Amino acid sequence: MRNFARRFFSRPTALFGFVVFVAVVVIALAAPLAFAAGPFTIVGMPLLPPGSPGLPAGSDVLGRNMMVGLAFGARISLLVGVTSTLGAIGLGVLFGAVAGYYGGVVDDVLMRVTEFFQIIPTFVLLMVLVAFLEPSLASAVIGIALISWPQVARVVRGEFLSLREREFVQAARVLGLSDASIIFGQILPNALTPIVVISSMMVGNAILTESALSFLGLGDPNLLSWGSMIGGSRSAMWVAWWTTVFPGLCIMVTVLSLNFIGDGLNDALNPRRRR
Amino acid sequence: MKPRYIALRLVKTVLTVVAVVVVSFFLIRMAPGDAATVMAGQSGYADEAFVKSLRAEYGLDQPLPVQFWKYAVAVAHGDLGTSYVRRQPVLGVILERLPNTLLLDGFALVVAIAGGVWLGGLAARRPGSANDNAVSVLAMLFYAVPQFWLGMMMVLLFAVSMPVLPPFGIETMGADYTGLARLGDVAEHMILPGVTLALYYMASYARLTRAAMIEVSDQDFVKTARAKGISERQVSRHHILRNALIPLVTYAGLQASLLVGGSVLIENVFSWPGVGTLAYDAVQARDNPLLLGIFIVTAILVSLFNLLTDIAYSIVDPRVELG
Amino acid sequence: MPPLVSIRNLNVALPPGADRPLAAEDVSLEIGRNQIVCIVGESGSGKSLTAHAVMGLLPRGVSATGGSIAFDGVDLLKEPAEAMRRRRGRDIAMIFQDPMAALNPVVAIGGQVTEQIRAHRAISESQALKQAGEMLGQMGLKDVGGLLRAYPHQLSGGQRQRVMIAMALSLSPKLLIADEPTTALDVTTQAQILTLIKRIQAEREMSVLLITHDFGVVADMADAVAVMRHGRVVESGVTQTVLGSPAHSYTRALIAAVPKGKSGLGPPPESVVIVKVDGLTKRFRRGGLFSRAPAITALDDIALTLSRGETLGIVGESGSGKSTLARCVIRLLDPDAGQVWLDGADIAHMKEKHLRPLRRRIQMVFQDPFSSLNPRQTVGDIIIAGPRAHGEDAREARARAADMLGLVGLGSETMNRFPHEFSGGQRQRIGLARALMLKPDVLIADEPVSALDVTVQAQVLKLLDDVRRQMNLAMLFITHDMRVAAEICHRVMVMRHGRVVESGPTSEIFARPTSDYTKALLATIPGRQAL
Repeated sequence: MRNFARRFFSRPTALFGFVVFVAVVVIALAAPLAFAAGPFTIVGMPLLPPGSPGLPAGSDVLGRNMMVGLAFGARISLLVGVTSTLGAIGLGVLFGAVAGYYGGVVDDVLMRVTEFFQIIPTFVLLMVLVAFLEPSLASAVIGIALISWPQVARVVRGEFLSLREREFVQAARVLGLSDASIIFGQILPNALTPIVVISSMMVGNAILTESALSFLGLGDPNLLSWGSMIGGSRSAMWVAWWTTVFPGLCIMVTVLSLNFIGDGLNDALNPRRRR
Repeated sequence: MKPRYIALRLVKTVLTVVAVVVVSFFLIRMAPGDAATVMAGQSGYADEAFVKSLRAEYGLDQPLPVQFWKYAVAVAHGDLGTSYVRRQPVLGVILERLPNTLLLDGFALVVAIAGGVWLGGLAARRPGSANDNAVSVLAMLFYAVPQFWLGMMMVLLFAVSMPVLPPFGIETMGADYTGLARLGDVAEHMILPGVTLALYYMASYARLTRAAMIEVSDQDFVKTARAKGISERQVSRHHILRNALIPLVTYAGLQASLLVGGSVLIENVFSWPGVGTLAYDAVQARDNPLLLGIFIVTAILVSLFNLLTDIAYSIVDPRVELG
Repeated sequence: MPPLVSIRNLNVALPPGADRPLAAEDVSLEIGRNQIVCIVGESGSGKSLTAHAVMGLLPRGVSATGGSIAFDGVDLLKEPAEAMRRRRGRDIAMIFQDPMAALNPVVAIGGQVTEQIRAHRAISESQALKQAGEMLGQMGLKDVGGLLRAYPHQLSGGQRQRVMIAMALSLSPKLLIADEPTTALDVTTQAQILTLIKRIQAEREMSVLLITHDFGVVADMADAVAVMRHGRVVESGVTQTVLGSPAHSYTRALIAAVPKGKSGLGPPPESVVIVKVDGLTKRFRRGGLFSRAPAITALDDIALTLSRGETLGIVGESGSGKSTLARCVIRLLDPDAGQVWLDGADIAHMKEKHLRPLRRRIQMVFQDPFSSLNPRQTVGDIIIAGPRAHGEDAREARARAADMLGLVGLGSETMNRFPHEFSGGQRQRIGLARALMLKPDVLIADEPVSALDVTVQAQVLKLLDDVRRQMNLAMLFITHDMRVAAEICHRVMVMRHGRVVESGPTSEIFARPTSDYTKALLATIPGRQAL
């Protein structure tokens, strides 16, 4: 474990990712305490540039404090990113494990389903899902989880397909272990590395997807997120760059930190593959 | 390449498209609130009789299985129905927009592959070097940037701060260029959206190329190649790159549908009149026949593209015997 | 005339963090003209890196840090990179262990051979192709025209290695380095490739540096031999002298560890039959739903019996069906037809639910010591998983596990360690302990020593035999190696293409084989006469 931490933090990018991500989490948790009035409160003239009194990040088209919006936006991004990933991982691991271990009909069905998702434009599907379920936090989470689980399932299935041929799994069958204990006790622990790595990348992707939905006006209308801040300032982009630049940077830095963490995890968990 | 294989693949494609028709049809119909109400709401009259007449006009008053059967029969005859909003045949509306999207996607794909393979090869030459780290960080950056925002930043940079490129549309409105001039105009309009779309995929190709080249260069046949006394340049071109291309082809096949999805955002930001903006409008207006049509047409396109990549795969890798 | 190659005090340094600083230390060795010189040693002895140093092809991070390698009077270590490149393939050529991996999978054979020729000679592609064809013909390959157009995966293992040799020799180098050239091949092919190398060497009066782990190969091939251990040459000299009167204790141990192919065991003990197999058949379907490819019959109507206390060897080359047989008997695969009677119960088609309680009676030891133990579990957890699955109390199982580890020659302190902390031989012992914890009646050993070095091989074989005796086990021993089978089996069954070719008591089969195939297998044992 200590070795793992040392390997992880020896990469500057991983360290950067970790520090930034922790900072984003702290900001998200602290936002309601620091800015009790909430992000929708109008505090002054619209489109005041950054550095105006009390407005380090300027104000938006409606004269709201951008700083407060950015802090509250972190909550939405993290919430959607983490919960939708948990959902996708849960579904993906379950189906991927069963399909990879048993093969046969279950596997055929899973492969057809993932092919379906490869063929259909998933973002359009997501827009349809969210629009028809009514745009809300829950519909974004459900929609993103539904379009991303096949990706997890494919990875898990692949791991299970190769691991089930390994001799220690055959040994477990010969010993008379039950299928459940082979799947969860023997194989899954060996497949955890790619699952952990893909999870951190998926949180990042989910944040990007959520921001895209909100940008297009398919986010929760009662919440302010980074994507909706950009979407809402499209008309002001020409005159007030800060209204679009700051929320975009927030998304980018958060996702980047997650991807750096994923990369660092990958290297730290697979020391032999490191180059 | 065996004709039998292609025939089988076409059969499979048809089956997949059928599955797409079935799943999308029921998915879209499961949504709460029907299209007639939405249409009525849009046109301003909300009275019950009007909604009813709309339902009858579009067959929405019939049982779902009957609606599906009618729709399926029509699709089999190449009729994708009529758009609620545009009151035009869906197929015509899509086909009118499709070339624009294909143009943008094709350009982006070429830029992404060319740039990605070049950058990946550069990084793989010396793993751990400054070049390698620069490519890795750059790739990570483009993975993390929201595409729509990158598009807006491109506009800010290259159309607002330094007005060198046109920010919106596919051609200059009202200029009525013809021939080569028009071609040049379109090409100019394509650069910003195309490059924006390409950057993300370029990052994936760079990472993939790098990983594949490093993995291949560890293999015994590369040692054999060096033992022959051929030049390093030939080792990396003739032996390493040729083998590293194989996973790239697979990836290109998987990416086709992503590109279509990604272009929704890019087309939206750059007002590019393609299938992406059409899909967005269809979602907003709940134009179900149009949405279904878009799903079906993209499914067919992606399937055909996958067939092409399979054929390309069997060319780069002689171990793959199709059929 | 001075020797062709003279290696003096060569040091090859490993990158920091390796298990030792030098892969080869103070190595001195001469390769005479028109001679075959063998470097023999176990894995990690530094034999292969020494050979790579001569070729100037050390892996990244590894480098020759001292000494000299004189080739025809020129010190190769001081040659500029470009001069060394031009020398490779022209003066010195090399072939490798696994010809499948050593050939570029996406380039046709013709292209790979002509590339070698044209790298050094300014001739046209068609001339080079003609020359390539002639070379392939000289290697005893048929249908040369077709071969030149074929890709590596379409060739057999023997054909591929012949192609590699043809390619290596296409510019008539003075030295051929062969790094374990037969280890990845089937036994009958092994003998053919060795004969070919010997013939070509004699015809062309060239020098060969042959790297091997097998003293049998040394006895058959080498004029001179150097024995390496932990990066040092412990003994070297003319082959007859080294083999006849080895001076160093390690050499003696290595020679003693080579299975001699003579049966040490008597006739099988009179005992009760515990496993009876009848009409066992297994087919593999190829491809998917739409595939028209015919099914492959991996097992065709196999019958055998196995009694308590006896070891039955199943011998065959890869693809003979021997492993499929083992996996059908233990029901890792479901046979298509036939019966497997385990002490009176037919388990061939039994449902997994009913089979599970019976599984403890028939256990298995696997081939690959690196994949047969779960890397995420401690040795203790690995060993008690079986008893726990059959309802044994954890504490009780742990207590027994400690005893069992003692039985297989490991201390009980190994319980809390992870598999990666152990060597290959130790892991095989752990795997054996895992199987024995269930007190089985039958033990199936699937190539249990083929991944091990010879000295370790001998120890593990002895352990298996001791355990068989102590626990009165019936053992089914799968191997491709006739020598190993002779060492440990009472009876032997020779398989080929999914059928039984011949079976009988080991001494009988070795002394008076009846089928041509068995005769051929016996004839291929390296060093049969000398050792």
